Amino acid sequence: MRRYVLGRLLQLIPVLFLVSLIVFAVMRLLPGDPALLMLSGAEGGAITPERLNELREQMGLNEPLAAQYLNFVLGALQGDLGSSIRFQVPVIDLILDRFGSTFELAVAGLFLAIAIGMPLGMIAAARQGGWIDSLCMTLSYIGSSMPVYWLGLLLVLVFSFTLHWFPSAGGGSFEALILPAFTLGLLSAGVLARLIRSSMLEVATEDYMRTARAKGLFPRLIIFRHGLKNAMIPVLTMIGLQFGALLAGTVVTETVFSRPGLGRLIVDSILSKDYPLVQGAILFLAVVYLLVNLAVDLAYALLDPRIRYGN
Amino acid sequence: MTRMKKAALWSGVASLALIASVGTAVAESDLIIAMPATNEPASLDGHIDPYQSTWLINSLITDPLVILSPDGTYIPGLATDWSVSDDGKTWTFTLRDGVTFHDGEPFNAEAVRANLERIVAPETASAQMASDIGPIASIETDGETGLTIIYDTPWVTLLDAVRRAPLWSPAALATAEPGDMSAILVGTGPFRFVDWVQNDNITLERWDDYAGVTAISEAPGPVDLDSVTIRFIGESAVMGEVLATGEVNMVYTLPPLFSDRYVGNSDYTLLSKGQAGTGLQMVMNTRSAPLDDIRVRQALILGTDSAAANDILYDGLYQASDGPLNNIHPCFWEGSSDMYPVDQERAAALLDDAGWVVGDGGMRVAQGVEGVEDGTPLTVRYSTLHHQEIGEVFQAQLRPLGIDLQIEVVPGPVQLDMVQRRDFELMYERQRSPSPLILDQVWNSAYDEPGGWAWTGYANPELDGILEQLRAVFDDDERCDLARDAQQIIMENALMLPTLSQPIIVGLDASVQGFEMGAEGNWFFLQNASIEN
Repeated sequence: MRRYVLGRLLQLIPVLFLVSLIVFAVMRLLPGDPALLMLSGAEGGAITPERLNELREQMGLNEPLAAQYLNFVLGALQGDLGSSIRFQVPVIDLILDRFGSTFELAVAGLFLAIAIGMPLGMIAAARQGGWIDSLCMTLSYIGSSMPVYWLGLLLVLVFSFTLHWFPSAGGGSFEALILPAFTLGLLSAGVLARLIRSSMLEVATEDYMRTARAKGLFPRLIIFRHGLKNAMIPVLTMIGLQFGALLAGTVVTETVFSRPGLGRLIVDSILSKDYPLVQGAILFLAVVYLLVNLAVDLAYALLDPRIRYGN
Repeated sequence: MTRMKKAALWSGVASLALIASVGTAVAESDLIIAMPATNEPASLDGHIDPYQSTWLINSLITDPLVILSPDGTYIPGLATDWSVSDDGKTWTFTLRDGVTFHDGEPFNAEAVRANLERIVAPETASAQMASDIGPIASIETDGETGLTIIYDTPWVTLLDAVRRAPLWSPAALATAEPGDMSAILVGTGPFRFVDWVQNDNITLERWDDYAGVTAISEAPGPVDLDSVTIRFIGESAVMGEVLATGEVNMVYTLPPLFSDRYVGNSDYTLLSKGQAGTGLQMVMNTRSAPLDDIRVRQALILGTDSAAANDILYDGLYQASDGPLNNIHPCFWEGSSDMYPVDQERAAALLDDAGWVVGDGGMRVAQGVEGVEDGTPLTVRYSTLHHQEIGEVFQAQLRPLGIDLQIEVVPGPVQLDMVQRRDFELMYERQRSPSPLILDQVWNSAYDEPGGWAWTGYANPELDGILEQLRAVFDDDERCDLARDAQQIIMENALMLPTLSQPIIVGLDASVQGFEMGAEGNWFFLQNASIEN
């Protein structure tokens, strides 16, 4: 097991190297000059080529690209992701400051996705072919096909503007988390419900399920102990992937609900071409995503004793 | 299974009810302002940031030397008196005595000098304020209250700079780490900086030792408000409704489409103020066809009706902007309004004359246009960051003329890249300032170079000469006369398509009293504000 984990962690190095190279290259390929963008916020003053060049020099943009990339990678290896061009504070501070809010939202969304999606899928599987199955699957299709932006605004319209139950914007409080979490979670709940249903139906035909039924076990015991546990393996993979999708989905959700988070920070920094911040934040998210999926892989062994790593 | 469903249902309902019961109360004397997320400052230090919103928020934390009052005149801030030499090179200020910063440090001439020196120091990387303060030759102090700023060349716009330039405690600046706003933002103003949760809110609290001696304060002493929270809202629909839900007391920059929600409702007050500047203009690239021909450019102006666009899109709440400076600008040239009245017939005749004839389907095509293959359709590309709806109305207005206006919405970096490559036809552009110097920046061909803001490719020594004089002439009336001459040349050559000017609309609930908007829509004062329940 230890060797397996170590091997997987070592595999992160080339992946992160590629991520760093791609994000560095993409940011330079995109049109726009960070210095010019910063000055473009200036209205009513003179923007001279001299001032532009001075600012570029101060931002380190006049260095050759290879030197800029090398500085970025060497810094990152030492835990230093540089300083934000726009905010003029260390990138790592900004990331850690915002990640809490994004992580909180993604976890809350995932929790709701599981809390809604799992019962829905299980009920649909248990009532396969009936109207309950059709209803559950219709709900799951609706959930997974609604655009996040539209759903977010709809929830704001109903629960904030009309009922005044929840704040329409902002972060920092539990009540401010509810609508964004539902916005994110409903989407994933639909996906999970469909997967759980098909997975449950698949294991229902397995020999051990037939044996359990033949032994006269209670249906609930059969479903939870034998059916659900085995059906969870592909679901777990999907949950890992969904967590990544939820992290990505926070970009839109954070914008709709004006929440402070990493998603909005990345979008803003892309628009202002804050190279160090975009590079650092993407690299950070890549690490989180890879670690979450590693954790999911390790969790397989807990669900299925036949799965062993490192032998 | 049924029991499980019930449990899930009830737990969901119970959670929602519990959360709903928490509520979102607004405490007394706490002013909560909703501001568009696009207004959120970058660093919050006005020495560095080039944004009006930064300077506005700074003005709540620290008083400036002079204040641009709501009626548009300069009144004493921390300077009680000021004068400028006849040659415009030497500015003398007399400062208030007995003022202190939030950290107890005295405010005096040395403090102002330290701030000005920090602004212009290259290592500060000031994106705008250093340019506005200008190339100071030397700063002399005379005791605690005497300050003289000397330039080698006339620097006529210093008051406009120092009304925005924040003055921080030199002791705080000396010890603060870069980016540590709670350490840097130590001012003399009515509120102390408490916290900034980026992408969310800024919190300020009343400074109990505030003297309240600037000319904007109606009474000495600290302000009534206990605190100010500025919340940054990313979604315009939320901006439009957030006042009605009671989550905030004030919306700064209410989207015009939501104004109906509050107009005529005694629970709310709507204030609107224009922003002097260029308006939302479309500058024309004169380097290539079809806009290299003045007749086509004139036809575009004659064929569009911005007043109709205002009615259709904004219920008439936007303001007219008929020329290179908008109609509320103190140096607006009134001839702009009469030069190109909406006249589709004249526009059609100009296009015919220029060789763009009506082809199949009513759209115009080239016939004998120099440098253009016959049969080429008359399309004009309009690139914009926002307000594309104005382009859409113009598109509909120009279609009967046979012009195909194609609209592309581009993000900021792309726009800047396009203008740097001069790869555009009609480009959205807006500058907001009561100074006529913005004309120099946009229209002086000397700035038609990398990083420069003169994009059109039009060069005219007469125009450039007039614009250069703007920097040297001190008398306001004389400068406005020069600015009007420049506007006339720009309009005669049809170098830009004027559209409208966006006002700032502020929505307040009935509890907010004493709120004052500045002379410009992008400024306000809270010195006399209070919350009355």
